[in-house]
Amino acid sequence: MDYALIHNLGVGFGVALSLQNLMYCFFGVLLGTLVGVLPGIGPLATIAMLLPVTFNLSPISALIMLAGIYYGASYGGSTTAILVNLPGESSSVITCLDGYQMARQGRAGPALAIAAMGSFFAGCVATVVIALFAPPLAEVALKFGPAEYFSLMVLGLVGATVLARGSLVKAIAMTILGLLMGLIGTDVNSGVARFSFGLSELSDGIGFVIVAMGLFGFAEIIVNLEQGESREVFVNKVTGLMPTWKDLKDSSGAILRGTAIGSMLGILPGGGALLSSFAAYTIEKKIGDPSNFGKGEIRGVAAPEAANNAGAQTSFIPLLTLGIPSNPVMALMIGAMMIQGIAPGPQVMTERPELFWGMITSMWIGNLMLVVLNLPLIGMWVKLLTVPYRLLYPAILLFCCVGVYSLSNQPFDVMLTAVYGLLGYVFVKLECEPAPLILGFILGPLMEENLRRAMLLSRGDPTVFFTKPISGVLLGIAIVLLLITLAPTVRKTREEVFQE
Amino acid sequence: MQIINGKDFWAGLMFIGFGLAFMLLAQNYPMGSAVRMGPAYFPTVLGGLLAVLGAMVFFRAFVSRFAHPLKVFIFRPLLLVAAIVIGGATYFYFADTQLKDAPMLQMLQAALALLSLLLFIGAFGPKSMFLILLAVVVFGYALKPLGLVLAIAILIVLSAAGGHDFRNKEVVILTIVLAVFSVYAFVKGLGLPFNLWPGA
Repeated sequence: MDYALIHNLGVGFGVALSLQNLMYCFFGVLLGTLVGVLPGIGPLATIAMLLPVTFNLSPISALIMLAGIYYGASYGGSTTAILVNLPGESSSVITCLDGYQMARQGRAGPALAIAAMGSFFAGCVATVVIALFAPPLAEVALKFGPAEYFSLMVLGLVGATVLARGSLVKAIAMTILGLLMGLIGTDVNSGVARFSFGLSELSDGIGFVIVAMGLFGFAEIIVNLEQGESREVFVNKVTGLMPTWKDLKDSSGAILRGTAIGSMLGILPGGGALLSSFAAYTIEKKIGDPSNFGKGEIRGVAAPEAANNAGAQTSFIPLLTLGIPSNPVMALMIGAMMIQGIAPGPQVMTERPELFWGMITSMWIGNLMLVVLNLPLIGMWVKLLTVPYRLLYPAILLFCCVGVYSLSNQPFDVMLTAVYGLLGYVFVKLECEPAPLILGFILGPLMEENLRRAMLLSRGDPTVFFTKPISGVLLGIAIVLLLITLAPTVRKTREEVFQE
Repeated sequence: MQIINGKDFWAGLMFIGFGLAFMLLAQNYPMGSAVRMGPAYFPTVLGGLLAVLGAMVFFRAFVSRFAHPLKVFIFRPLLLVAAIVIGGATYFYFADTQLKDAPMLQMLQAALALLSLLLFIGAFGPKSMFLILLAVVVFGYALKPLGLVLAIAILIVLSAAGGHDFRNKEVVILTIVLAVFSVYAFVKGLGLPFNLWPGA
């Protein structure tokens, strides 16, 4: 431990422990858990709705609250996954597999407790990881030129496609479609309004909240309604919360491995909570006895829950050091920082240390609050889950609509969201995963901008992306990643993994 | 040649369509050179790439290892015919009419165009999708003129009608609860600038 780190953490705790910030942190994690528990409404819609409000807060309070919503949601999502077999939040999809089986065997209590403990442990470790790795990364990032940024984004997009579900070609196509949609609006270099069909509403581009809300929020409701609902809540069976010694012994290794995987994957642009949990589960299955998994194996709950929480938190690293969002929620965080007049990037750490370290320490405090909040309040969350879907989805729809409308008070935005809802339904029907599209959409303009600058600097020589060392390495990793995925054996296992 | 994977077939066509559309639309802007890229450069390259990938997905539909029926979407021919008739009639009737000074006619044209679009969507999608999207769009456009409370009522009733199990009493209670909640949480609490009632 060097002295600077302790000093920095001290500054952070000083900020995060102020009464006002503690309050916003608590409010954030509480709200996050709530939306995490409720299936169909996620952190994205919630943060979008609160974005206009944060204008009146101090920058640090706003960021602490919004961050709390994000990791709080990944916490709450596990409760729903275990009790209802529905992911309350997309990152807990994998927890359904074994968590729900445990609940059916009357072991919902231990499953919930292990999920909470795993998440808490992962959250603590991830906080330290951010504190340790963000500063050196930011220093490297200060040396990044346009070529390096471009290559980094290519790597992020490749990462997202490789880890997307289903066909690789379709995932790449979806990424490119996302990049193209991101280009809609005024071109910064020439001032031309591209693909706007003469509509002034489109000349500023399409907000990512609109795209994300349509593709995920609306489309999910439509698909759920088409399929009809089948829910079974294990309300009465949540009795003893305490896991046995055997549970703890079994899951401790899984929690450690999950935390490590989550912390690493979260850092990658395109990584984050969802991918981490998938990867962690797959590895647990490789290590343990595969025949137990899917039948209530506690390690199948512990590892992905630890991983998704670690990933949720370390995905702040690319945002804070490079100014690049690794997922839609991080893109909203950029929006929140812009509202406060802060340009995200490596300079935040040196220019506004209290902001950076305050946010990191607040994450640790928030995780502590979540454990205290989640275990005793489990009964209340369970009650919420007994609300039937037919009452829930109109409410979700309303919150999404209010969130979209409040972005700029334009009915046109709401209609555009409906268009994306329609597209999202088509994508689901055609088995095209929308997650890579969103990432492409966010990165589209950034990528074009950096490509143009890099080409201008190199006088039109495209080899610059390979001859600059950092850029070359990043592109090299991207190419290797793609080639590995195309190799026949990996392709087969990948298909098997995502079949589940 | 036989189509084995219907999902790949349609997905391929969709990607090809999007790719070509972006490429063609981009040709309205200056292309520039590799050194100084114009606004058309990046979209043209990406659009071409998307079309090629789309073609790959399309041809895979004929050799795929996974079989899916070609009929992925619902198809209601009657609604499609109605959409084309109304859309076409609106287009030709208003083609040479001056609309600048006639706001009523303008609104009629917009309404008919919207109706035709909705019928078109209804021809290929399930009922729930149709009603959910309709509810959302109506909410967006009703919020300002009708106020938050009535817009919520419309949204809830329409979207609830998109479900499987519409219970009058429940829908009324849900509307009241959500309206009260929204007024206090969004307007009073968060300070969002919405009218509560028509004209207020």
